[in-house]
Amino acid sequence: MSGLLHAFRNELRRIFTVKPAFSVLILGAAFYALFYPQPYLNEALRNVPIAVVDRDGTQSSRDFARRVDATPDVAITEVLPDLASAEREVFARRVDGILVIPQYFERDLMHGRPSPVALYADASYFLIYQRVAGAVGAVARTVGAEVEAARLIAIGVDPAIAVVAPDPMPLTAVPIFNPEAGYATYVLPAAFVLILQQMLLMGVGLLGTLPGADFAGDDARRRRLSPVTLMAGKLLAYLALEAVILPIYLIVLPYLYGLPRLGVIVPILIFAVPFVLSVSGLGFVVAGILRRPIRVALILAALGLPLFMIAGFSWPSEAIPPFIRLISFLVPSTSAIDGFVKLSQLGAPLAAAKSELFTLCALAVFYNLIGLWQMVRNTEPVNPMVSENASPAS
Amino acid sequence: MLARSGIRPGFRLVFWREVGWLWRRPFLLGLATIVPLTQMAFLAAVFSAGLATRLPIGVLDLDSSDLSRTIIRMVDATPDSAVAVRVGDLAEGRSLILSGKIHGLLMLPLYLQRDVFAGRRPEVVFFYNTQTLTTGNLTARGVNAAVPTAAAGIRLTLRSAQGEPLDLAEADLQPIPVQTHALFNPTLNYVFFLLTALIPSVLQVVMVTTSAYSVGLDVETPYRLRILRSLGGGLWPAMAGKILPYTILFLLVLGLSDTLLFVVLGLPLRGHPWLLIMTGVLFILSCQLLGALLAVLLKPTLSAVSIATLVTAPAFGFMGIGFPRLGMNAFAYAWGELLPGTWYLTARIDQTIRGTPVDLSFKPLFVLAAFAVGLAGLVAWKLESMRRSTHRIEDRNAPQPLAKVPS
Repeated sequence: MSGLLHAFRNELRRIFTVKPAFSVLILGAAFYALFYPQPYLNEALRNVPIAVVDRDGTQSSRDFARRVDATPDVAITEVLPDLASAEREVFARRVDGILVIPQYFERDLMHGRPSPVALYADASYFLIYQRVAGAVGAVARTVGAEVEAARLIAIGVDPAIAVVAPDPMPLTAVPIFNPEAGYATYVLPAAFVLILQQMLLMGVGLLGTLPGADFAGDDARRRRLSPVTLMAGKLLAYLALEAVILPIYLIVLPYLYGLPRLGVIVPILIFAVPFVLSVSGLGFVVAGILRRPIRVALILAALGLPLFMIAGFSWPSEAIPPFIRLISFLVPSTSAIDGFVKLSQLGAPLAAAKSELFTLCALAVFYNLIGLWQMVRNTEPVNPMVSENASPAS
Repeated sequence: MLARSGIRPGFRLVFWREVGWLWRRPFLLGLATIVPLTQMAFLAAVFSAGLATRLPIGVLDLDSSDLSRTIIRMVDATPDSAVAVRVGDLAEGRSLILSGKIHGLLMLPLYLQRDVFAGRRPEVVFFYNTQTLTTGNLTARGVNAAVPTAAAGIRLTLRSAQGEPLDLAEADLQPIPVQTHALFNPTLNYVFFLLTALIPSVLQVVMVTTSAYSVGLDVETPYRLRILRSLGGGLWPAMAGKILPYTILFLLVLGLSDTLLFVVLGLPLRGHPWLLIMTGVLFILSCQLLGALLAVLLKPTLSAVSIATLVTAPAFGFMGIGFPRLGMNAFAYAWGELLPGTWYLTARIDQTIRGTPVDLSFKPLFVLAAFAVGLAGLVAWKLESMRRSTHRIEDRNAPQPLAKVPS
């Protein structure tokens, strides 16, 4: 038991004294907490600039344009004479959409004919397209409903029914869990989980490859610690570290950034245990395979972005090929992002995340057993030849 | 040493030394080629579908009338959404949403049909999960398209009941139809939007970190740096010979993945290929020189690699693909301006799907060129000042002890 305590204390000390590990696990955590959310903090796009080509130039067309301008989503920044000049403005990235109001817009409306408008919206950025198409569509529907009601009254329909008739069965779409449909609310809870994983993975990988990884402190005690004790001690140290960092990332930061959340703290913390253990286990395996700190840093650096893309966040998991999806479950973040988001953002009970919990537990056992096997295999030959020697980095 | 045995120092010597070096270091070679290629193949597989269709939603049908069944059928028929389950009450729907099995719940209230025909405007409610914004919005798009279509049929009935001729009534249904054209990406395909931007972003991380590492191998020990310089017969040939082998490798990697995009996945190339290639080369050079600069500024190499990771790993968000830069705060906007990837992605989107006229596309080209020149200047300046300071130390006293070999 004292061996376990010893290994635990030693690893905890190394977290704070081994410089590369400290910069990743502590300084990196502080840096990312401030830096990463910056692009998303405005939550939504507002006043996307669009151009208007008003070929009609009447009271109605100007009124329509004004109502489009009045929506919070888009702003009319340019009024241009023809489509060609407006197109050039889109290419120059000065506007992101063109609203064309054709000639005889007003006349057709007055005559009771359909009076279409054309919208060209930039779909090379999907969020911009959504905003522009949504805003103009909504204005056209509202104005259309008014026109329709007026026409019905004109043909002698009772005004009470005329107001109802344009929309007899209104559809109310209620966004839940992210009522603003904000981008920060969407991306940050998932990204924070991925950042936690990447930092812990890197930290464990570095601690496992930098000098001092295979014994607990003074050499006298070295022989008396079994690999199981050593590893359990390390895992306890990582759990202790994450007991501070993880709640900051998943509870305090969302609160400070004002993200809506419904979760209860206890299930999040319960779920965090297999998460930390599986990531640490994977860290042992990575360290065992790569053997050198610089390799750990280089390989893990490039993995963050692809791992985020398979988590079913930016891209629905239903559309990911099943084979890729299956492989992705080998990485803790895939299940962890799903699980943590359910528990903290949706306020789901632990039971709703039980398959994720199970996957993480299985990964934790799996990776830690492999890590243990690697450790046993590496310490078996007692001669010191196999330990870190000055070999040229490759 | 080598230089004396008859081999002329110069760019070619350093270049071939670097190539031989790469060949003998499979890890470095793999890092520059296999790692990014694997990632790109992986990402291409993830997004290969291009469009996400038939996302599962649930239905709570409290009315069970002709009308409610029609609505359900129409919602199921849209490409975006598929009715996966019928639930018995809201609580069941909620727990299905929480477990992630469905992304939205359509609620059709009791007496829907009766109230609609009585003109009482009953509400149809669609709850959708916007915690996963992409998926939620897609299901909402499906329902938003289907329910008004169902309503249009009723409106037509109401009008013909008033004695309005059918053709007139049909024209009246939508007084101001909007003909929406999705410019540049008419099918809203994710391959042309996200995948083509992800590839340079992944490559940016690999290029900056790999360059920091490979330059770090030479810079970390002063004598190796001096050997490199005398092999090159000067600062510039040595730098060029050191960097160019990787430029070629990265260009091959980028070329290969772009070939995959253009040929297999059908990304349109509406702009000028030469502009795309030129900005690509400048982007690669800027990333390499950024890595080199970090390596000459920071020691040991591990710190240089860590800082390179810190700068490039979160860069995707700052480059404004998912959340466009026009919505960012001042800090994020300015930081994005400093990343080579931002400019390359601008040029890339301009010259692939947008087909921007050349005269409007020069800005990213010039900015990337300025990055490359500026960073090269900074690296050279730092190397020069390092040499001067070592000379001064050597002049003053005995040879300096060798720094320990990196392990």
